[in-house]
Amino acid sequence: MNRRDSELLSAYLDGELKPSESKRLETRLKSDPELASVLDDLRATRALLRKLPSRKAPRNFTLTRKMVGQSPPLPRAYPIFRLATVVATLLFFFSFGINSFGSQLASQPLAYGIGGSGGGGDETLPQEAPAMESAAPAEEPLAPPAPTEEPAASAATGEAPSLDSASAPTEVSPTEDSSRIVEPPASKTGEAENFAEGEQVQAQAEAPRVISSTWQVILVLIALAGLLFMSLMRYFAVRRWK
Amino acid sequence: MNEQALIQDAQGGNLDAFNTLVLHYQDNVFNAALRIMGDEDLAADAAQEAFISAFKGIASFRGGSFKGWLMRIVTNACYDELRRKKRRPTTPLEPETDDGEEMDSPRWLADPNMTPDQVAEADEIEHAIQHCIDSLPLEFKTVVVMADLQGLDYKEVSRAVRVPLGTIKSRLARARLRLRECLQDFAELLPANYRLEEGMSA
Repeated sequence: MNRRDSELLSAYLDGELKPSESKRLETRLKSDPELASVLDDLRATRALLRKLPSRKAPRNFTLTRKMVGQSPPLPRAYPIFRLATVVATLLFFFSFGINSFGSQLASQPLAYGIGGSGGGGDETLPQEAPAMESAAPAEEPLAPPAPTEEPAASAATGEAPSLDSASAPTEVSPTEDSSRIVEPPASKTGEAENFAEGEQVQAQAEAPRVISSTWQVILVLIALAGLLFMSLMRYFAVRRWK
Repeated sequence: MNEQALIQDAQGGNLDAFNTLVLHYQDNVFNAALRIMGDEDLAADAAQEAFISAFKGIASFRGGSFKGWLMRIVTNACYDELRRKKRRPTTPLEPETDDGEEMDSPRWLADPNMTPDQVAEADEIEHAIQHCIDSLPLEFKTVVVMADLQGLDYKEVSRAVRVPLGTIKSRLARARLRLRECLQDFAELLPANYRLEEGMSA
């Protein structure tokens, strides 16, 4: 039996043939016992399939709101509270940044004016300054040639003992000189540093807060109140929804 | 049950209305999935997914047979589930006896009003038919389940599986012939009035 005949028989069983096709097939079935036998087999197969017991669903497949991503209808005011909470929280954290930035700005001109160096660099530059000053006296023994040339001239005239005594003070004196020369500037910068730091601390302490702590407390209260109202709205919306 | 009113309410987002439809059609949807998948757990998963998809897409339902529309969705859900299963093959959950031996047929699904002999017989027939359905290619299986088990007409089956009407006719005829051949191996199990004549070939 060809595929076309099997399709005709199958569709005939289901009543899906046109009346003219059905009549032609019925005529053939009367004269073709093999075709009629296949039709009987197909009918029996279809009846068996239809006899297959229908199973009861093992559980209910009803959907929950969570399954379909539905959320309870919230009051119209809900977005306003959400916005207020977000804005208050952001402003609260911003206020710290603004206050610290403001105090930095307030302290900078004072640090420049007294320390003679930038606010951030006033810790490093004064340290470098004495180092440069102490390096300069170390070179000093080479710079003033006069004390060493005099003994050399006296040695030439035979005053040998006086050479050591004369040269000794000249070797010591530069270090003594250097310590004498270095100390005053070092102590000067130290005082300046201490003074500058003191002024800075004072300036920081006296720096006006851009956003007062009262406003910060208010912002926190707004944020907390917003959260509380939002929670209550959600709670009652869910209860009403259920 | 006013199906049309429930569908309209469900289209407006009314989940309770949709759940009434679910309760009405859940056996049909589950059975279709069970016969296509051949596994109760997978069928339950597919049925659940089908109802979720149906609710989300109910706005696209434009009238006609709601059952046919649901059958299309459950067919897609079964295909998705089978694709997932193919990607992550797992050990099939076969029913086992108390001794841990595999049972030939799932007796726990039987009708409690039947006598033990009837249960045994029904189980064996069902097992034989399901075995033959399982042996069909997926596209044949789906058409047989929709037409012969769910009772959809050709047009509805065509819409459900999204293939032309002529293809449905062809697939259904070939599927029935294959099933006839397969069921001949279980001839002794079949009731006398359904027993197929041996020696008949296509």
